[in-house]
Amino acid sequence: MATLEIKNLHARVAEEDGEQILRGVDLEVKSGEIHALMGPNGSGKSTTSKIIAGHPAYEVTDGEILLHLEDDDFGDLEIPDDVRTWNLLELEPNERAALGIFLGFQYPAEIEGVTMTNFLRTALNAKIDEREELLFGEDDEEEEEEAGYDTSPMEGNVDDGEVGVAEFQKLLKEKMELLDMDEKFMQRYLNAGFSGGEKKQNEVLQAAILEPSIAVLDEIDSGLDIDRLQDVSKGINALRDEQGTGILQITHYQRILEYVEPDHVHIMLDGKVVKSGDASLASELEDKGYDWVREEVYEAA
Amino acid sequence: MSAQLPANLSAETVREISDARDEPEWLLEARLEALEALDELELPDVIQTPGRRWTNLEALDFESLVDPLNQADETTRESPEGVVVLPFTEALSEYGDLIEERFGSVVDPESNYLTALSAALFTTGTFIYVPEGVDAEDVKIRAEMNSRSLFSHTLVVTEESSSVTILEAIESGDSVDDARYFSNLVEIDAGENSYVQYGSLQNLDEETYTYSLKRADADTYSTVNWIEGNLGSRLTRSDVETELNGEASETKIVGAFFGHDDQHLDVNARVWHKAENTTADLVTRGVLDDEARSVYEGVQDVGRDAWSTNSYQRENTLMLSDQSEADASPKLIINNHDTEASHAASVGQVDAEDLFYMVSRSIPEEQARNMLVEGFFVPVLEEIAVDEFRDDLEELIAARLR
Ligand SMILES: Nc1ncnc2c1ncn2[C@@H]1O[C@H](COP(=O)(O)OP(=O)(O)OP(=O)(O)O)[C@@H](O)[C@H]1O
Ligand SMILES: [Mg+2]
Repeated sequence: MATLEIKNLHARVAEEDGEQILRGVDLEVKSGEIHALMGPNGSGKSTTSKIIAGHPAYEVTDGEILLHLEDDDFGDLEIPDDVRTWNLLELEPNERAALGIFLGFQYPAEIEGVTMTNFLRTALNAKIDEREELLFGEDDEEEEEEAGYDTSPMEGNVDDGEVGVAEFQKLLKEKMELLDMDEKFMQRYLNAGFSGGEKKQNEVLQAAILEPSIAVLDEIDSGLDIDRLQDVSKGINALRDEQGTGILQITHYQRILEYVEPDHVHIMLDGKVVKSGDASLASELEDKGYDWVREEVYEAA
Repeated sequence: MSAQLPANLSAETVREISDARDEPEWLLEARLEALEALDELELPDVIQTPGRRWTNLEALDFESLVDPLNQADETTRESPEGVVVLPFTEALSEYGDLIEERFGSVVDPESNYLTALSAALFTTGTFIYVPEGVDAEDVKIRAEMNSRSLFSHTLVVTEESSSVTILEAIESGDSVDDARYFSNLVEIDAGENSYVQYGSLQNLDEETYTYSLKRADADTYSTVNWIEGNLGSRLTRSDVETELNGEASETKIVGAFFGHDDQHLDVNARVWHKAENTTADLVTRGVLDDEARSVYEGVQDVGRDAWSTNSYQRENTLMLSDQSEADASPKLIINNHDTEASHAASVGQVDAEDLFYMVSRSIPEEQARNMLVEGFFVPVLEEIAVDEFRDDLEELIAARLR
């Protein structure tokens, strides 16, 4: 069971006189839990998610982000006792991902020339390699240099890596079926020319392949039609049920929460989590709007 | 005169080259004419921006670079059935009349100083002849330069309704310590309704100065597609040009370059629309690392009689280092407004959001950057018809990234 612990996180834009965006965020997400993070436009939700993943545009000025791992987090892999708590802020983004952090983007990048299959298999193998390195120390440098040499943008790394081409194809097909995604996407370039909804669906597919401990999904529901919303919800629930992923779901709408039922709902205002509750908080919010939260919070203050 | 004439360059030298190869009189005359013209000719134009001349050809020391009587190369030629692929000299005995008629008809030897020098001194090159109705795939010419200087002349003639795909690759053989000079002229005379793809991959060692002019004359309904890959050399000046002379003729000029260290790449793509319903698509993608520099000029010239023209041009340069420099000038000249045209150029770095997207999915930054660079070249790779060429180019790109 993994726990993502965000304590008193303060952050600003990493530029001279960069704006302060986060002013003390506290959140805790455990494996198997579903959290919804809501809040008005510009309140700092996406910023929080990007800082968790390690986006270089932000500078953390105070607070910390910890990831606590437990024995069963990486399947059969034994996690040594002394590497069970990680200060994410000290890790590179790819290292965070290797330890099980996944960020589903509000606006996923479109990458011409890199096929989905190549990208995802490369990512999966890189994750396995990097995780071993982090848990058990440097692995053989030579081996690393050799891997990834004979690669091509059309077919990907020809060297087999941990997960070979055939095995990966099978895995990908299986996950695509679960999400009701057309196989043709496998050979297409990453998000290039994908519709808004297809991109979001692809984010969930990637999470399903990479099997994160904690997935932060930023507005995964925006721009989805009714059918796709159900497919995506099914994918998120499967992540939680089958892989025990903890979900932090950023959303503006009650709609997705009917399919992906949150255990906890948090409301962010002006760079802070100001109110938390159970699923009923989301419906209350739907009725009363953010002014109600604002009044409550600022009157108390 | 814009360049010093090498002292060892005389009519005598030219005669010696021609005699040694047992050439017909007309070719000797053509060589001597080119030699004579040298005095009057200028070096090719280069891009200038305020206070700066990007490619300084004047600084080349032709005196020491050019060693006309000691040219050596090792060239292999693979030809599918039905098409004639011969060393230029050997072709003269059987195809002399045709060669006499077409030699210099597309690339005027007196275009500039460097073309004239090449016409006067060339000792290698290929003659490719595709008879009427023949479809030929995968003509492969692999040349190795084994001397201080080497001048090459290639002539491609395609007859009516024929088609051919060609790969020409040049690299350095025995290494010579000093600077070298390689000159490559290619002319394509594309007959009615014929199709030519001419792919060229230059990977010479980084002591070599390269000049290359490739030009096609596209007849009615013909298509000439160029793929120009430049990875090697110390300095390259490359011009790839098509004249769309026939109605409904088409051309693509696709370029890829990847410079590193202090390489200098001056690449140019030009098309002249001279007839109705002609189509051109110019696509160049370049990457620069270290202190490498690139200059690009693309010209789409839509003539007065070119009604109903389509003409597109895109150039993108990706900089991997702060010390690299690039200049791009896409030019569109329109003399007939019944035209659909676009032209654009960009110079930029690897997109930070793209990179973050990839690293956030576990891919280490350097590997992610390499994948983005390889992906950047995909639009060029996708155009290549000869598989071996695509594999080679991919491999050279990958090797340079690691
Ligand atoms: N890189 C940046 N540079 C400058 N300002 C930024 C940057 N990133 C975020 N901001 C600002 O920080 C504030 C919070 O942005 P953020 O994207 O986190 O909001 P959000 O809660 O996700 O909003 P939405 O619901 O509209 O997606 C906004 O005012 C935004 O303009
Ligand atoms: Mg947002």
